[in-house]
Parts: sequence; C-alpha cells; structure tokens
Amino acid sequence: MLRKKLFFRPAFVPALLVLLSLALGGQSFEGIKKQVKTHVLPNGMKLIVLERHDVPVVSFHVYADVGSANESYGITGISHILEHMAFKGTTTVGTKDFAAESKVLEELDDVYAQMKREESKAAPDQAKVAELKAKFQDIEKKAKDYVVNNEYFDMMMRQGDAGVNAYTSSDATQYINYLPSNRLEFWMAMTSDRFLNPVFREFYKERDVIMEERRLGVETQPTGKLMEDFMAVAFKAHPYHHEVIGHMSDLQSIRRQDVADYFKKFYGPSNLTVAVVGDVKADEAFPLADLYFSRIPSGPKPEPVRTKEPEQWGERRVTVSAKSQPFLFLGYHIPDAKSKDSPALEALANIVGRGRSSRLYQNLVKDKKIAIQASCMSGFPGDKFPNLIVFIAVSAQGKTSAECQAAIEEEIEKIKKESVTEEELTKFKRSTIKGLLGQMKSNTQMAAMLAYADVVLGGYEKVFDQIADYRAITAEDVKRVANQYLVKTNRTIGEIIPEK
Amino acid sequence: MRKRKTIKTSIAGLCLLAFITGAAYAQKAPKDKFVFGPLNPIKMPKVERAELPNGIKLFLVEDPEYPTIDLWAMVKAGSVFEPADKTGLASLTGSVLRTGGTQSKTGDQIDKELETLAATVETGIGQTAGNIRVSVLKEDLDKALAILADILTNPAFREDKLNLAKIQQKTMISRRNDDIGSITDREFSGLMYGKDSPYARQTEYATIDAITRQDLVDFYGAYFHPNNTYMAVWGDFKSGDMIAKLKAALGPWKKGKPSTLPWPKVNYEFRSTVNYVEKPDVNQSNIMLGHIGGLMNNPDLPALNIMNQILSFERMFKRIRTDEGLAYSVWGDYGASYIYPGVFSCGAQTKSQSTVYAIDIMLQELKKITEQEVSDEELEKAKDGYLNSYVFNFESKSQIVNRLMSLAYFGYPLDFTEKQKAGVEKVTKADVLRVARKYIQPGKVQILVVGKKEDFDKPLSSLGQVNVIDIAIPAPKK
Repeated sequence: MLRKKLFFRPAFVPALLVLLSLALGGQSFEGIKKQVKTHVLPNGMKLIVLERHDVPVVSFHVYADVGSANESYGITGISHILEHMAFKGTTTVGTKDFAAESKVLEELDDVYAQMKREESKAAPDQAKVAELKAKFQDIEKKAKDYVVNNEYFDMMMRQGDAGVNAYTSSDATQYINYLPSNRLEFWMAMTSDRFLNPVFREFYKERDVIMEERRLGVETQPTGKLMEDFMAVAFKAHPYHHEVIGHMSDLQSIRRQDVADYFKKFYGPSNLTVAVVGDVKADEAFPLADLYFSRIPSGPKPEPVRTKEPEQWGERRVTVSAKSQPFLFLGYHIPDAKSKDSPALEALANIVGRGRSSRLYQNLVKDKKIAIQASCMSGFPGDKFPNLIVFIAVSAQGKTSAECQAAIEEEIEKIKKESVTEEELTKFKRSTIKGLLGQMKSNTQMAAMLAYADVVLGGYEKVFDQIADYRAITAEDVKRVANQYLVKTNRTIGEIIPEK
Repeated sequence: MRKRKTIKTSIAGLCLLAFITGAAYAQKAPKDKFVFGPLNPIKMPKVERAELPNGIKLFLVEDPEYPTIDLWAMVKAGSVFEPADKTGLASLTGSVLRTGGTQSKTGDQIDKELETLAATVETGIGQTAGNIRVSVLKEDLDKALAILADILTNPAFREDKLNLAKIQQKTMISRRNDDIGSITDREFSGLMYGKDSPYARQTEYATIDAITRQDLVDFYGAYFHPNNTYMAVWGDFKSGDMIAKLKAALGPWKKGKPSTLPWPKVNYEFRSTVNYVEKPDVNQSNIMLGHIGGLMNNPDLPALNIMNQILSFERMFKRIRTDEGLAYSVWGDYGASYIYPGVFSCGAQTKSQSTVYAIDIMLQELKKITEQEVSDEELEKAKDGYLNSYVFNFESKSQIVNRLMSLAYFGYPLDFTEKQKAGVEKVTKADVLRVARKYIQPGKVQILVVGKKEDFDKPLSSLGQVNVIDIAIPAPKK
C-alpha cells in the first residue's frame, strides 16, 4: 500500500558480483545461480524459485511489469490506484454477497457518472448535482453493507504475514508477502484469486485515501514538490514526466471502469513474474502454481511505451518557492539499465557521490563546508527507460545552492579531464560486492533482485552474468561517459528557493 | 507447540481438507480451505557468550553463509546524561570520535582506508546508548579491528572535525521546521516529557556553541570503557577464534569507572490539552494525541500488544482510513520502552477540512476500547497474527544476537521474547479491556495539531482551550 521505491538499487547487483569472485577466492556465484529454478506457465506467467531451508519462512515477490510510465494524460496515478485496489478483495474475499454487491457497485458507478456529467456542463444545475451527490452517498452506504472490511489483509496477517505490502514505481508494481513456509499453497490460492477475480470495491473512498497520500508525500513537502516539478521539466515527453502518485485532478476523476480497463490491459499473466525465496521446494511450488495460476486466461503482452524522450535542446531550470531552506538537484539524461554505458555510469555515481571519501563529500562537505549532504545517484526515477543521473546538495546554514552547484561542476569537470583513479575504481567494485552480499542474505531482497533482473535486465541470470561487463570497467570508460552525458545542454537544474 | 487452524477462504473450487505436507503435487484441484501441516522447526543458532578480561560482554553467532563479519556494540552512555546547556554534546562526541581520527591517523585517512576495504567502522551516541558498528569482508577483519581499537584507545577529537560537526548540527537546527512530520514528532515529544526534559529537549545554536573539544574528551572519558560495553558479533568465523582476535585487538582498551546510569525520571501529569502549531503553507493537518506510555517490563505488555493491534488496525485503520477515507497513515499505539516510559499516541494526517472530524473519531475509538470488550473475532485475529508471525523473530542470526545483546544491555531477561509469546497465548478479551482501562485515559489526552487553522472544519477551540506553540528558531548569536 505504500507508494515508495525499493531501498536497494538492483542495478548495482551485477557489479557486486564481479568482485565477489575476486574477494572470495574459490567461491563462485555459479553455485547460487544453479540453485535458481524457473518455470513458465502455459499462460505466460513466470516463476523463479530459490530454495533456502535455514528458517521456516518464505518471501514472495510478484512483479507486475507496469508502472506510472505506462500511464497517459487523464489517468496519471492509476497504476498506484490499482495497487491499492488489489487489497480490496475478490468475488469471494471481502464480500458478504458478491452477486448482490456487484449490482449496487454498478448502480454507484452509474450515479457517479451522472453527477460528473452534470458538473461538467457549462451551467450545471446545482440542485441536480446536490441531489445526485446525496443519492451517491446513499448507495455508497448500501454497498458498504456488503463489504467485509479489509478481509484480504485480515486473512494474510492472521496467517502470520509479516510483510503484506506493495510498492508502485515508475517502472513496476510489486506485491510482497512473507509467510511461515507451511503457507505456500495458501499463498498460491490467495494470490491467484487476486489476479483472477479482483473486485474494485470501496473505490471512491480509496481514492480519497490516495489524495491524502499525495498531500502527505508531495503537497506538504517542499522536497516532494521539487521532485515533482523537476521530473516534469527534465522529461518533456516521456511519461517519467509525472510522479507515481499522479496529478490531483486525475485522482479526482479516475473512474472504477478506468481501473478495470487498466487491469485488463496490464495484469495479464504474460506481464507477471513471481519470485519465491525461502523454505519451499521448487518441485512443490511449480505444480501448485500450475494448479492455481493457470486458471488465469492468457492474453497478449501489452504494447510497450511508445513515447521516447527526445534530445534536449538546452539547459532547463525549475524552481519551487517554499517555506524551507535551499535544496538542489542537478540531473543529466542517461540511457536505460540495459545500455552498455550503465556500469560505467554506476561507477561514476558511486565514486563521485557515495560515502565519506567520495569526491562530492570531500569537496562540498569536508573542505568547502558549504553543504551537509552532497551525493549522486543514477537510475532516477527508474531505469527501465532512459533516465537521469542526479546530483543532490543540501547546503549548510548560510550557504547557497549556487555555491554547491559550482563545486559540483568543478568535480564533474575534473572527471571529464582526468577521470577517476584506479584506487577509486577498486573501492567502487569492492563496496558494490559488499552491498550485494548484504542484500543476498535477505530472502525478501533476493526475491526482489531476481524478479527485477528477469524483467528489466532480460533474465534473472543477468544478476550473475553481467559480472563480466563490470569487471571490464576502466577509468577511460568513466571519463568517456562523463564527457558524453554530463554536458550542460543535457541537464535540468531544480532548486527550492526559500520563501520568507 | 503449533496450533492447527482452519481458515475461511471460500475461493471458488473444491473444499478439500487434506493434510498437505509434500504431497501437494499430487493434488488435482484448487482448495478453498486450509489446514496447515507442522512448520519446519526453527533451528536456533548457538549464541556464544563470553567476557573479555577488560570487561566487554560478548555475544557471538557463527554464520558461515556469506564471507562477511558484522559487529554492533552498545556502550553505557546517552544524551540524557549531557548537561542541558550543552544539548548536542553526546551526539557530537559520538560522531567526532570517528571523524576526528586518532593520534596517528586523521579521520579522513581512516575514511579512505575503510572505504578502500569496503568496510565500515562507525560510532555514535543516542539517547540511551553509545553505539559502535563494524561491517567488513571476512578477509579484512584484522585491519578493521585495528582501526576500531585505535579509535577507542587513542581518539584525537580533532578540532576541525568538531567544527564541521557543529556546522552540520546548526544546519539541522536551521532546517528543522521544513518538514511538517518532524515538527509534529518533536513537539509531541515535548508535550509528553516536557520540552526541557532530557528525553525531549532540542539542540539550539547556543547549546552547540557552548560545547568545547574538552567537553567531548570528558564525555567520552566518563562513559566509553570496555566494562561498560556489550558487543554482538556475527558472521563467517569460529567463535573461539573471534574471542581470541577481539581479546588481542581490544585488549589495550583499559577498564574504567563503570557507568551507573541513573536514568532521569519522567514525571508526567495526566491532563487534557489542545495544542496548535501554525503551518500556513500546508493543505493537510498532522495530528497526534495521547499521553505517557509505559515500560517493556510491564507484566501487562502481552495484553497491551494485542490491544495495540486491535486499536491500530481493527479500529483506527479500518474506520479512519478504509471507511472514511480520511488518511493514508493512521495509528493508535501504547508505546513501551526499555528504561523510560514510552508514549501512548494516536495519529493521522488528514486534509485541513477534516481535522476536527478525524480527531473526534479517534477520541470515540479510544473511549470505545476502554468501555467495551473487543469481539471474539478481533481477539482471535490479533493473537493468531502475533503467534503465526512469531517465527519472523528468528529470521536471521543477526536479529537474534542483536536482540539478546540489547536485552542484556537494558537489564532484561534474555528469554523476554519467548515469555511475551507465552503471555500472548493467554490473553483474553477481559485482559484487553482491563489493560485498556488501566493504561488509556481517553478523557485526559493531549492533542497536537500542526496545520493551517483557517481551513479547518471546526475551530480547535471546540475541543478545548487552545495553546499555540511557537516554533520560531531562536536566532544564533552574532
């Protein structure tokens, strides 16, 4: 139900592994890779299983290859709305009598449509609007009588689900469960039902919840406002243009039918990948998946996003005026995660902007003392499509974003001329491995990585196989990508301007 | 002991009540009722305990799966022991201990050395404990331990890094009103403990300016002794070897005066108040209401945990979020802490126009939980959820060893988690009502609203006399 991105950055994964084999001597990732088993159902849904029998628990990760980048004008935020609606139950979960309930739900949609039609007239009849509104509220109450409040959550939590949740990003919608491992079949039953027989009940109230979520994350947060406007300016055409949460006016207007259509288009089995990591057996999980998930009819893989971000014609700048101290974003367009330049860009971001000995921290925080935080990340806001490498500075008291920008530019120019040192490259490679080891310990993060790699990088094996690309990164590569992408005409500057 | 439970799922299909463990692949039809076979046993890792000659209390767990080693130590110290006019001293001591370097190396040299190894050695001092964290690839353990020992025995607290840390602290003060959520947390904490209490007081420009390098040296010297230290270590090692390595590396860290830690008392007077912080640039109110909470060693804690689950999810979430669509995040929780009373709070963020309406509902729900027993179903769901997810307390070796170390640090019995479970198994509806009545006082809550009053549905004065809290930041001295 949360709208947030995963904490870890799966795009780093490959680099981590490079060094692992270096650092670990004989130990190789071929061993782990061989333990991963996959199964594709006749309807196109893919399962990835990694058995781990230490603790009797299991993590499930359903990766729907659809996110806010699949949305168009008028329905921004709908991927995230659908994520919320997936917790509202099915034809049998969350209802006392679906047959009766479904009639009332249709009636409700009908009155809602009439109300909207009247409201959108040049001269709406206010009495009629009020009458329809009262009628709408009446029917909404009637519909509520059929609902078993949060039954899906209740059932999962009651079975010990310690992580029932979901996340929507620009690229994907991901559903998470952690259960005691003897609940494997229960999960199969509950989850297949969710995709087979969803019912989008309590829709209008949930839209209200999501509007509160937007106020919470964007409208009351100066940095949230900046992020939204920054993306809107950096991406003029590609749908990374809009925030995952969507525009308020769209949230106020999206209908239940829009959600049903969107579900039909994007939630077919060919667009779903499931990773299961924990104390289960693949040869039990696969037949169960056949039994439960094969009930979902197959459909075509949805058409890819058409719009591409065109070449930028000049530097762009956006400001948000807020009751806040200054804040600075500098973003440069870079290619997607599958690009051959991705590893070198990761190395660049890491060396420039992560850790106390990174170049930005050294220059802005330690030496010039103009910032308390200065960092850099790539893969923003997603990495399935061409995205941004972003430099962020939080200026120190009494210092300005202009000073921070100048210092960041100084560091960028240095890399364009001299590149990074061998020592820095080694540091990047080792820290990336170490980070991966940390992630691999967790069933949940492992499941997330396998699903991500399978969908975005083109195969779960890429987690292991891209090692070679990372091993090959040279200082010359980093210099080349810096010169290719970190140019002024390719960048957007975003700033919070303090309001008195 | 594991209970077998039947649950209603009513997913279309056959109703099989087969006992499934392993024979699932023979199954021909989806089920809509489940009886769960026994869960594979939780293999408890062996936690080795030892005490080094200099008094460090060790908790070790071998975890050979990945070639890394991690360490977390808690040192008897805390910001609650710093003088009020030097608020921020503990935090500065904890960070400059690491960044200020040692007699032989600057902090910057240590940064570079560690990052080249992909290792971390970090120190800090929080409210009720000092912390040391080390994370390293197995092969680099000796190097990381040598750095840690150097930091603990020869800290230099270099002036330039103190000044840098002061800039960071002052910048944080200057930015503390930028985020409505942190304003709410901070001011609510002030209402609960008193704004000058060691549990709630804030750093100010003046308190940061008052701190000298000598203060850091003295604060460190007063508390950071091996015999004040509890240390958990987990990863790819043999316990015997690890003890020997730690003994050799940290041996030069000499014993000092044991901390007695007289935790400051909390004197809470139950009262109803209405408090308001003006935030004219928002369209959503941040609401918290409640009163003081309790300690984790309370024998009623299992019943309180069940009550919390019912109050937060069954009542607040289902009504305020699901039925009313008033908020994204909403809760009701009787907080309990290790050594000083936690806070009982309910909260939500709702559009300005539904502020008082949402508060009214929260108050109604508080009243209700202290007046009527919860339903059988609510109780069963909450208990099943707790007991079925209990296995996640043992999901990783790090989690297990860290929990034991924290329990020991705060003087709690090491079987605390197991006892909580036994307690939860026995909780009844009468218990839930009894603890709700005993610990929650719906008539005496303090309400805090941060938002824009012009847009509220009703004036806050409809809830009581309004106390306006001024959050203006006292200006730095020129």
